[in-house]
Amino acid sequence: MVFFLQILVNGILTGFIYVLMALAIVIVYKSSSIFNFAHGSLVGLCTFFVWQMVVGWGMPLYVAFVLELVVIAALAFALQRLVLKPLTGQPLMAAIMATIALGEVFSGIVVLFWPGPGRVLPVWIELSVLKIGPITISSESLTNVVVCTLCFAIFLLFFQKTKLGLAMRGTAEDHTLAQSDGVKVDMIFVVSWFVAILVAAIGGVLMSSLYGVSYESLHSLGMKALAVVILGGMESILGALIGGLIIGVVESLGSGYIDPLVGGGFSEVAPYIVLLIILALRPYGLFGYQRIERV
Amino acid sequence: MYKKPCGVFDESYEQDSALVRTGYRWSMLVLLLAILFVAIPLLAGNYVLDVLNNIAITLIAALGLQIVIGFTGQISLGHAAFMAVGAYTSAMLSTHLGLSFWIAMPLAALTAGLLGIVIAMPALRIRGFYVAVTTLAAHYVIMWVILHGGDLTKGISGLTAGEITIGSFVFDTELKFYFLVMSLAALAVFFTSNVMRTKIGRAMIAVRDNDLAAGFMGINVFRTKVVSFFLSSLYAGVAGSLLAHYQGIITVDQFTLMDSIWILAMLVVGGATITGVIMGVVFFKLLSQVVLFGGPLVGSMFPSFGGSAVSAGMQILFGVVVILFLIFEPRGLSHRWQITLSTFRLWPFPH
Repeated sequence: MVFFLQILVNGILTGFIYVLMALAIVIVYKSSSIFNFAHGSLVGLCTFFVWQMVVGWGMPLYVAFVLELVVIAALAFALQRLVLKPLTGQPLMAAIMATIALGEVFSGIVVLFWPGPGRVLPVWIELSVLKIGPITISSESLTNVVVCTLCFAIFLLFFQKTKLGLAMRGTAEDHTLAQSDGVKVDMIFVVSWFVAILVAAIGGVLMSSLYGVSYESLHSLGMKALAVVILGGMESILGALIGGLIIGVVESLGSGYIDPLVGGGFSEVAPYIVLLIILALRPYGLFGYQRIERV
Repeated sequence: MYKKPCGVFDESYEQDSALVRTGYRWSMLVLLLAILFVAIPLLAGNYVLDVLNNIAITLIAALGLQIVIGFTGQISLGHAAFMAVGAYTSAMLSTHLGLSFWIAMPLAALTAGLLGIVIAMPALRIRGFYVAVTTLAAHYVIMWVILHGGDLTKGISGLTAGEITIGSFVFDTELKFYFLVMSLAALAVFFTSNVMRTKIGRAMIAVRDNDLAAGFMGINVFRTKVVSFFLSSLYAGVAGSLLAHYQGIITVDQFTLMDSIWILAMLVVGGATITGVIMGVVFFKLLSQVVLFGGPLVGSMFPSFGGSAVSAGMQILFGVVVILFLIFEPRGLSHRWQITLSTFRLWPFPH
């Protein structure tokens, strides 16, 4: 029972990172209806860049943070202007292919500049262990939960309270209508990409503080976020929240109970199996809109 | 749609439905077949033949993906996994049961095809991005099962596949294998172009253009999607089986998500026609040869990037090529080819 609870708690703790990652994908999808298959590579790229600044170039943290923001803004702007804007009006396939190709480019860049095995980020928070009854929680994963919840809350407030957030929600509803109300849809796309890449960087750094910087695990984190988004329903932020926690728990249960039986690795595919089952039952995810279409 | 030159008229249904219509096209076809099956085997060395064999195998897989993506409009990211199913089924049948390739290959293709239907089941009720991520999930699950198959699949160390024989004749050199795969690839091209002219093929195109409208017109959308996924995985199974027996040993590393993505990229670069698929496959395989030879040269100019620079460079180059094609020529090489052809059809007498 203690083992089960511990696994459950671990799953929920990792689940928070998935929630954050899924949020990034949902934001981009809602505003520009592009499903970001490059997310995994973006997580890797951003995290390695953080490592480069903090460890490679020995920058103080706040300088690194500001520089990261500038770089992410430039990246978001370049993405929108150079790649995605020319693709406006193309079929779904083009958008998917473009983000997949971008992902390949980013992962190529990571391999080119940071070859070899993973890196280690410095320890920012003293490692200690929190005990609630028989269950132990490390301070790092607790920090992750706090940061993720904070980000989530900030984004929700941003969407509900600010003018830009309102413009983004409007764009998500209808591009043409938003445009005729004076919203610069193009800029909204840039902002949503900025937010998405920023979130990718935050998630990547959090994940790396737990397991070290390795491109494979960061990439698979981003890919699992795709599963989370589809599981929750693509338009739904609530879906991202619940889906992320489900995937986290499933993964943790898989690694606790089934990995010892089949010899490892099952936790990596458990989220995908759950995804297949849920999609067979609910084709639009848990909270996705069931679209009613006219021919 | 192939436009006929001036003065060529169809006078019977046989002429109207012929795949090759004019004498000129017949002569070009015969010339092409002569180059493929006489000139190249006579002239090409083993290395070139090896490249061509790989092109032919990839072409079969790409044609399968074209049925699902280009004709039915469902985006599949799991094609490499279906190839893996074909390859491993074939290798298991030949290694563990000692079956010959000629029995193992159809069985492998059938297994891949049936698995394609199973995986497609959830994908059939859903559309767009949901299908893409479902097939992505299927990829991870299938590859995990293969990796953890124990003695059946030999996990990480790789499974051997027997040689292909007819009686005492063994397909053991590149040249002998070339005839086998090239004939199969030619058959696949022929079969695919014909499928598109049948009732089910036209139904697929209707589903791609608008599945709701297709449903209202009396097309069984569910059946059409099932058939297209079945056919697609069947092709992947054949390609995987050929790959297994060509290389003699297969590992899970040969069927990664990247491989699915590169086949997709070939379709993007080539364009949404059969000619386009051929062009895309050839273009990408030749590009990778260029990188293979040119990469170390460029790499030696920038020694600071180290040994993985070539593969990383290849990834970046391919990604950029795909993006450039999406932006500047979304209809692919085959569209360019059509423009060139129609220019020269009238040249130099515009009328």
